[in-house]
Amino acid sequence: MQAQLSSLSGPLLARRWVQKNLFSNRWNSVLTVITLTLFAVIAYNLLRFVLVSAEWESVDVNRRLLFLATYPSAEEWRLWPPLWLFSGVAGLAYALWSRVSRREIVILGASAAFMFLLLAEGSNGALVATGTLIAVGAYAGGRRLRETRYDTTARRVAIGGGVAVLPLALILLNAGDGVRTTVWGGVMLNLTLATVGIGFGFPLGVMLALGRASSLPVVRLACAGYIEFVRAGPLILWLAMARFVLPDFLPTVGGLDEVDLVVRAMMVMAGFSGAYIAEVVRGGLQTIPRGQREAADAMGLNAFQTTWYIVLPQALRSVIPALVNRFVSLWKDTSLVVVLGFVDLLGAARAISAQPDFVGRQAAALLFAALVFWTVAFTMSRLSLRIERHLGVGER
Amino acid sequence: MAAESLRGRRLWRSGRARRMATQAGFSVLLLIFLAYMVERASHLDLDIGFMDAPAGFQISHTFVFGFDSGESRLAAYFVAVTNTIRLVVVGILLATVIGVLAGVARLSDNWLVSRIATVYVEVVRNTPLLVQIIFWYTAVFLKLPRIEAERSLFDVAFLSNRALALPWPEPRGDFFTAWVIVLALALVPGYFVRRIRARREAETGQTMRPNLYSLGVVLGIAAIGFLVLGLPVGIDTPTIVSEEFTKGYVGGLSVTPEFAALLIALVMYTGSFIAEIVRGSIQALPRGQTEAAMAVGLTGYQRITLVILPQALRSMIPSLTNEYLNLTKNSSLAAAIAYADLFQISEIIINKAGHAVVMFIIVIITYQVMSFTISAFMAFINRRVQLVGA
Repeated sequence: MQAQLSSLSGPLLARRWVQKNLFSNRWNSVLTVITLTLFAVIAYNLLRFVLVSAEWESVDVNRRLLFLATYPSAEEWRLWPPLWLFSGVAGLAYALWSRVSRREIVILGASAAFMFLLLAEGSNGALVATGTLIAVGAYAGGRRLRETRYDTTARRVAIGGGVAVLPLALILLNAGDGVRTTVWGGVMLNLTLATVGIGFGFPLGVMLALGRASSLPVVRLACAGYIEFVRAGPLILWLAMARFVLPDFLPTVGGLDEVDLVVRAMMVMAGFSGAYIAEVVRGGLQTIPRGQREAADAMGLNAFQTTWYIVLPQALRSVIPALVNRFVSLWKDTSLVVVLGFVDLLGAARAISAQPDFVGRQAAALLFAALVFWTVAFTMSRLSLRIERHLGVGER
Repeated sequence: MAAESLRGRRLWRSGRARRMATQAGFSVLLLIFLAYMVERASHLDLDIGFMDAPAGFQISHTFVFGFDSGESRLAAYFVAVTNTIRLVVVGILLATVIGVLAGVARLSDNWLVSRIATVYVEVVRNTPLLVQIIFWYTAVFLKLPRIEAERSLFDVAFLSNRALALPWPEPRGDFFTAWVIVLALALVPGYFVRRIRARREAETGQTMRPNLYSLGVVLGIAAIGFLVLGLPVGIDTPTIVSEEFTKGYVGGLSVTPEFAALLIALVMYTGSFIAEIVRGSIQALPRGQTEAAMAVGLTGYQRITLVILPQALRSMIPSLTNEYLNLTKNSSLAAAIAYADLFQISEIIINKAGHAVVMFIIVIITYQVMSFTISAFMAFINRRVQLVGA
């Protein structure tokens, strides 16, 4: 069809295209006219809001509030190394497992420029630029190493670096005097909550899934009970529990019962996402044919070796897209901490309407918050689609 | 002695013994944990009596049952549960409609329609629900004019930031029950018309339009009954009553901005997930189904309603059930904009009376009962649509 059309000249081509795709029959023409009207109304109102009535000044003035909220500016240095490590790992991984298409260069360049303009205040500009350079450098290095004899080493470095982001961030945030969790806020709080939720929830979920698939009835029942109990209630309920109930049940050893609400919310996030990740992993475990285990038994592998070398690699591989979708949900769910009174990104956006300059005008800030949440979530869901295609799931 | 040690080693080697040992170890740890939890809980007051005390607060949204602050907390909780059920039931129905429409639209050969559906799904699905709820509430419904300067649509519907007042049908006169009976009786000839015409269509191959004719028969009888019994149903339009200090609406259907914002956000959000499920299920069908339907000469509408959707429905139902359960749990976000759902009311009760553990157990049981009802209903539907013997 493409070849057929391309032999036509421009205007005729456009006319053909419109006829084929918009007015192919009576019903389609009616549909096109209706949707076009609807689209025009929505687009007009949205554009009028974005260009005329929205007060983007409320976002511009409050950039710091939205990104860091009450986090002290003297402690900002602690946040940059983990971010740099992350951009390096991202660039390296992209180079090793995939490659950037021309379209993606445009998108990535635009988002880097946008981030730069958004954060370029004082020395931040240089720091963002450093991060970008690290990412680009890691990508270039990765491309050079790909499919040489250092390929495997480079892949191990990328995976190791990815795993190290969370510990590095936690170490830096607590090193020296540390930064009290109560002042964490803005986008940074959402990022930390999501990373902790994934970092601790994932191993927990894998263990729960293995337990649920175990042949030992006690273990199976306990794991199934935990998973179903957690999934019975909405996250907002468990967060409320972190506030009202958890202090009564935490052990008194090591001052664990006096941890503040942010840490308790993190525990809830990890426990909650663990239960949902377990269900995803269980789906992967069920795809492993019996013969795999039997073959491992026949080779004399013990239970741990069978699980670690045979079952888990295959099971996890087949559910990577579903896992990434779980991470997307977790990222979106971090906005729920506003019900605990935290000033995360959404909390900051809501707080703007209380400022004397912008009383009751939070639409622009809310849209901005939605945009930030959406960008991260959309990127991850595209990534999951890509991995899905790469793995050929659904084609088998 | 050698035999003894060999036996001991064999015991360790035997998988059964090791499994027993592992289980015993795990059970001991589990019991210690449970004992710890029970010990901790025993310090708390687990009496349920606090639910009988007078509530002492008003509920801003009630629908079938009224509520007065003198009634018990249990009554308040019951009213809140009805509020949640109202939200969930209406939400599930509308989300299914939106989701199926958007899912089919994404696969439309009309470029504009499929692109708009794609944008809708990708934007709404990847934005947190809570952000959407707060956006609809604060940036749309609270921005409507105040009730003094309300916007009216032809003087029958009114929009203001106090309430959305819409016209709603209402029984009139003495013959409403009689008309309902006529309506029920009209289904009998409708059923037979459908059966006869469907059989003749199958026998002769002529187009007999069984659904259209049976619908016509039922509606015709209903319309005649409607006229004979003297218009037993009227449309109740809202009117404004102004008293000295307050203004409000009487009659019609009055929807609070909280409910409207929640419903729209939940429906749009869940609808975008349902759209993906519908699309996936349709795409999973072999392409030959569409081609065969075209070869037989079915129109686009017939192709979708008679061939594609009935088959796609089979693989859709489990995921659809999951989305309905998600919607039920997500309805708890109502608390963020102070719609009196069961979670918000239970938080108020906790703030007033404590007893958080007991209250949370009640809430979890309530959600579990709702989830179970939905799952059971969907399992019933699932049995009806699955292939026999497949």
